[in-house]
Amino acid sequence: MTEASHSLFDSLRVLELAGELGAYTGKLFADLGADVIRIEPLAGDPTRQRRPFFQAAAGRENSLRYQYLNTNKKAMALDLTDPAAGEILRRLIRTADLCLESYPPGYLDRLGLGYENLSQINPRLVHTAITPYGQSGPYKDYPYSDLTSLAMGGMLYLAGIEAEKPARVPDNQSFFQADLYAAYASIVALYHADATEEGQFVDVSIQESVTTALENAIQTYDLEGRIRRAAGSVEAGYGAYACQDGYVYVMAAMGRNAYLWDPLVQWMAEKNIPEAEILAEDRWKDPEYRKLEEAKTTFKRIFETFSRQYRKEELYEESQKRKVVIYPVNSAKDVLENPQLAHRSFFKHMYVASLGSNLCYPGAPYALEKMVWQLRAPAPVFGQDTAGILGNLGYGPEEIQALVERGVAYVR
Amino acid sequence: MLLMSGKLPLAGIRIADFSWVGAGPITTRLLAEFGAEVIRLESQKRPEILRLTGPYKDGIAGIERSGYYSVRNPNKKSIDIDMNHPKARDLAVKLIQQSDIVINNFTLGTMEKWHLGYEEVKQIKPDIIYVTMPIQGSTGPHRNYMGFGATMNALVGINHLSGFPDKEPFGSGTNYPDHVPNPTHTAFAIIAALWHRRRTGEGQAIEVAQTEVALNVLPTAIMDYAANNRIEARIGNRDLNAAPHGVYQTLGSRRWIAIAIFTDTEWAALTEVMGHPAWTEDHRFATLTGRLEHQDELDRLIENWTSQQEPYHLMERLAGAGIRAGVVQNAKDLLEDPHLHARGFWIYLNHPEMRRHVYNNSPFRLSRTPTQISTPAPLLGQHTDEVLRDVLGLSQREIDQLRQERVIG
Repeated sequence: MTEASHSLFDSLRVLELAGELGAYTGKLFADLGADVIRIEPLAGDPTRQRRPFFQAAAGRENSLRYQYLNTNKKAMALDLTDPAAGEILRRLIRTADLCLESYPPGYLDRLGLGYENLSQINPRLVHTAITPYGQSGPYKDYPYSDLTSLAMGGMLYLAGIEAEKPARVPDNQSFFQADLYAAYASIVALYHADATEEGQFVDVSIQESVTTALENAIQTYDLEGRIRRAAGSVEAGYGAYACQDGYVYVMAAMGRNAYLWDPLVQWMAEKNIPEAEILAEDRWKDPEYRKLEEAKTTFKRIFETFSRQYRKEELYEESQKRKVVIYPVNSAKDVLENPQLAHRSFFKHMYVASLGSNLCYPGAPYALEKMVWQLRAPAPVFGQDTAGILGNLGYGPEEIQALVERGVAYVR
Repeated sequence: MLLMSGKLPLAGIRIADFSWVGAGPITTRLLAEFGAEVIRLESQKRPEILRLTGPYKDGIAGIERSGYYSVRNPNKKSIDIDMNHPKARDLAVKLIQQSDIVINNFTLGTMEKWHLGYEEVKQIKPDIIYVTMPIQGSTGPHRNYMGFGATMNALVGINHLSGFPDKEPFGSGTNYPDHVPNPTHTAFAIIAALWHRRRTGEGQAIEVAQTEVALNVLPTAIMDYAANNRIEARIGNRDLNAAPHGVYQTLGSRRWIAIAIFTDTEWAALTEVMGHPAWTEDHRFATLTGRLEHQDELDRLIENWTSQQEPYHLMERLAGAGIRAGVVQNAKDLLEDPHLHARGFWIYLNHPEMRRHVYNNSPFRLSRTPTQISTPAPLLGQHTDEVLRDVLGLSQREIDQLRQERVIG
């Protein structure tokens, strides 16, 4: 690892107009060293109210999602609807490279703080707006949540089979998806601004972000006229099965290809599993047969007789030796105890003074040889940097006091 | 606001793309949309798996007919090269000398077998950006484990937390981390490395362990267990912060609407749209705490009502009242979605064999340097001669010779 000095991120400033969207975008920049300032409304970022909480107790600093998304950032609390706060934002914009926001389309324009205004102050500014449906189109003002976004973007429909109701994936994936595209588009725009002095506006849609997670579903309809649902669980040997301490995920069925199937059947035969020889019959190589109810029931009966004798980690490790693919269906506890992640010291721990405790965080998403990813500071306490940043902008103590008394700013 | 810039941000950047199947090609598609020249090294001898996986144009299998392949590979070039041929390395070296980025997502050791590991490639091109995407990282006891996107879902904890509590763990129904979390993180890191190279002249290695990227978008259950010793379980479409919060049957087959009520104001608006049926007056439903406690009953009562409603009409009424609601759309709905059409999200390109077929636009719009999706997925080896001639500077005689020796197709 080379010295961390002079990383390009050290000279980047990001302003994040805080909400449930954009926080992961800001985190990607902050964890590589950028100066990320969150401007929260006086009611606080709604993420602060999201469960689960530290020690299951509600409290402004206690949301674990808030703590995760805001590492290495600074925080101010301002009422942007007040012209005095607008002036503060304009001063900050002069010093910023990137502005992230997720207000409804047109909202900042009405406050005189839209891209048209901000780009006049700072023509190099990259202004990235993340909204449920983008800045234009008939649905642009529709309210949203993660669940409705997964529904309208098509990912939810895939998480179910036949006529069964679908169930969503955890942790607000639609927000992560939009935040990730926002991060990629923003860094490209910053890279462009660095070369040309040209800033620009970036319009990110959650719905469109979600539609990029549909695998081949769109093409399946376009080319073959079929509406697909989940890939797993529709045929014998592909999906979740019970084992001694929970479930494993099995992938033995691969079209007409038997290279994952045969060694599994062999393994079961070695262990004298009753009826294992049935699975060696030729008809199992036919995907159409494996999709029959009869096939699914038979496979499940025979396989689970085998799998229930073992723990998921045993099946996982032994299967790899036999070129069979059986993966553990891991809970959070299992993931934290996973030997591979432990060997790589993936999870990180950091003391969070506002909680009086350490928290455990997922570690770096990537290893860049010449750049340092690091958790340097926990998520900011509400209003913790308001006074300091205002001071740096040239506001005197009396002016700051006046802003607080008028309810324009909150200083911790 | 549309003041288009003359040049795309990644124009002039060339990528020697050894990746295949999932997260790799999706990453290089993201780069190709901004003008990078992506040259995929493919082989007729061992074709990319997705070329052999449907859906196919008109349902007829064929190496140039897969929509699974095409959607991940617009704007790219394809050369047909047999990397296991002893003379292939020389060609790869020439290509790397003319490239800015080398990317692969093979199992560990494959690039090294061809003597194209990072240390060797650095000798060939000292400022190269070298990207690897091993499933579980390049160190550790499970580094060589084989797996798929769908099995990774189980390993990182998605399946345990998705599905209904009275049924088996389900997962996303797809190879999810391959599609968005992993390619976007990788592309973000690549631009950071390009920028670093512009400032310092230095290249670098980037390793993106697929499981570890995925865990970055699955933080809360892990933090909850570590801090509170609580093992979260799957809860269907419910949410710890909202009730009612679910997917409800509407008129039609396989037709549902998602509704999410976070606040008392939203609850009051919902009862208004429902026409204030008597049951909504029940004091148990008056607060979020009460609604969270009595979700089974609440869900049943709401579904009695939604099941008599046309889904899109209902979504419009709910949205108009400030309620978060969305139809559970399938692929057909999305291709006919008036909103996505108004935004120009679906792009149809003409392919020599598949003819006119669909691609999605980027989910982001840049005002000055918008992405461009201009050419359909390449035919296997479509650009072999062009690349060998124009990029590597080979003569027609040399190209013919390599083809005769079956180094190229």
